[in-house]
Amino acid sequence: MKKKILHKAKGLSDKAVAWIFITPTLLLLLAINIYPLIYAISMSFTNFYANKLGKEIKWVGLKNYVKILGKEAIWERMQITASFMFWTLLLQAIIGLGLALLLNKKFKGNELLTTLIVLPMMLSPAVVGVFWTYLYNPQVGLFNYIVNFFYDFGSFDMIGSSTLAPWAIVIVDTWMWTPFTMLICLAGLRSIPNYLYEAAEVDRANRLQQFIYITLPSVLPFLLLALLFRGIENFKMFDMVVELTSGGPGSATELASIQLKREAFEKWKTGYSSAYAVILFVTIFGFGNVYVKVMNKIKDR
Amino acid sequence: MVDIARSPTESSGFSRKLAALIIIVYAIVTLIPITWIILTGFKSVTSSITYPPEVFFEPSLEGYVNLFTTRTRQSKEYLEALPPPETWYEELVRSREMVIAGPSKFFGRYANSLIIGFGATFLSVFLGALAAYAFSRFKIPLKDDLMFFILSTRMFPPIAVAVPIFIMYRKIGLGDTHLGMIILYTVVNLSLAVWLLKGFMDEIPREYEEAAMIDGYTRMGAFFKIVLPQATTGIAATAIFCMIFSWNEYAFAVLLTQFNAQTAPPFIPTIIGEGGQDWSAIGAGTTLFLIPVMIFTVVLRKHLLRGITFGAVRK
Repeated sequence: MKKKILHKAKGLSDKAVAWIFITPTLLLLLAINIYPLIYAISMSFTNFYANKLGKEIKWVGLKNYVKILGKEAIWERMQITASFMFWTLLLQAIIGLGLALLLNKKFKGNELLTTLIVLPMMLSPAVVGVFWTYLYNPQVGLFNYIVNFFYDFGSFDMIGSSTLAPWAIVIVDTWMWTPFTMLICLAGLRSIPNYLYEAAEVDRANRLQQFIYITLPSVLPFLLLALLFRGIENFKMFDMVVELTSGGPGSATELASIQLKREAFEKWKTGYSSAYAVILFVTIFGFGNVYVKVMNKIKDR
Repeated sequence: MVDIARSPTESSGFSRKLAALIIIVYAIVTLIPITWIILTGFKSVTSSITYPPEVFFEPSLEGYVNLFTTRTRQSKEYLEALPPPETWYEELVRSREMVIAGPSKFFGRYANSLIIGFGATFLSVFLGALAAYAFSRFKIPLKDDLMFFILSTRMFPPIAVAVPIFIMYRKIGLGDTHLGMIILYTVVNLSLAVWLLKGFMDEIPREYEEAAMIDGYTRMGAFFKIVLPQATTGIAATAIFCMIFSWNEYAFAVLLTQFNAQTAPPFIPTIIGEGGQDWSAIGAGTTLFLIPVMIFTVVLRKHLLRGITFGAVRK
């Protein structure tokens, strides 16, 4: 009662304050995010070219969508994106979880080492792409030198060879983002209460059993969350790969968003590329939703 | 009985030492690329392209000089006819049989990164703090849906909205301007700012403001004078995350800006010397570009987890 009188007496009502506080954020998101999205969706049904503004825009219905879904090149890029995602997520899950398990054993310098290991993921992906082209350089690259130091493969070109280039981007992405899964898994491990292990000891469960029945199930939701974030990011992956391989050689590392950029900003097929963007967006949203449902089921168990 | 208290976190001395050893090796390996590029910045151009790669080399500031200048090659006769060099960097350039033609674009691009980064960070944290407070304290219809809507804006591939934004910006005169990029980065950062700050504000007890309001503060007054100061750590952490994002962003910068408002990330790869990329200058530029982020990471280490998961994992 006292509170209510107070609010009436002094200044704006809570409701007014709430809307004053939220409105600027919502307006900005509507103007710079939702409006462009709706614009892109409506363009996707036309033959619009952004570099020919004077030209009459024709409504073409679903033609762009049909064209894209029937195109082999698009499915090829989707496959490249899928295999990039598969290998990066797999490696980052395994190495990240492994590092987290090790870091969870408390030893001296633990915190300092965590901070050092985390550094790569804070860097600019585009700049990372640039300096890895130097490391991968077939004539003077440090990467090639170190690999040849351990086993002499002779001269090889990570970026120039269409069999090696997909691995080149997987290696850099894994180098950069493994700390991400590591940090999140570490939080999961630290959230496991000690009494669970004590109870397991009483029940004479051995180390392996404790790991399988206590550690893994507790960490799994955290790992899945980390992979969700990484999955969304890598589906959109653009900057690092553009700078590292620019999608080449040929189209060996041309991920979906790189192809999208070519259609939209080099060929200026705005209508067509908008349809492509919508398809990508629906794909990621659909997969994301299913994934979250599965994740929640696992969490509830 | 001794065994009972043993959990994976309190393992035996040997396994702890082994874990520490593996982690140290991993840390060293993972830092090699970064260390290497920083070292390359202090190599001469010739030393940056020798094979096998030189770990020990004579340090040179050629990379930094090349980063900040443009140069033209001149004949020996021309150089000899010139008055003696006035500065150490002129001398360095002349020893490569070149003269300084003028400053490079790096300084301007770096300044753009700072202006756009700080502008967008300030705006997104300010607006984000307001929205976060409202979401944290008041009953708002469809609150969960609105929060999810705000988060979902982060899922769009930047390229998907880049064309409409490009056309829109060109129409209203924001194309290739600082203001345009500040607004754009603010919007991209808002989802993170709102989610993170809501988490931090949820942790501030409501009693503080209620007490202040009984003392005569208005709701607004209580927010600015009581809640914001309480949330300083959270605001600082959020600001650093927003800054890092704007600092590192590439896709929008390369697609929407060209001359006036372009930031450093699209510029660094274009640094070329004679006959290819000038790796020591790229190393120098990369080093100057990465140092702020590394400092931020160390400052942030306690809040990293929260920041990278939009507040979903708090520890």
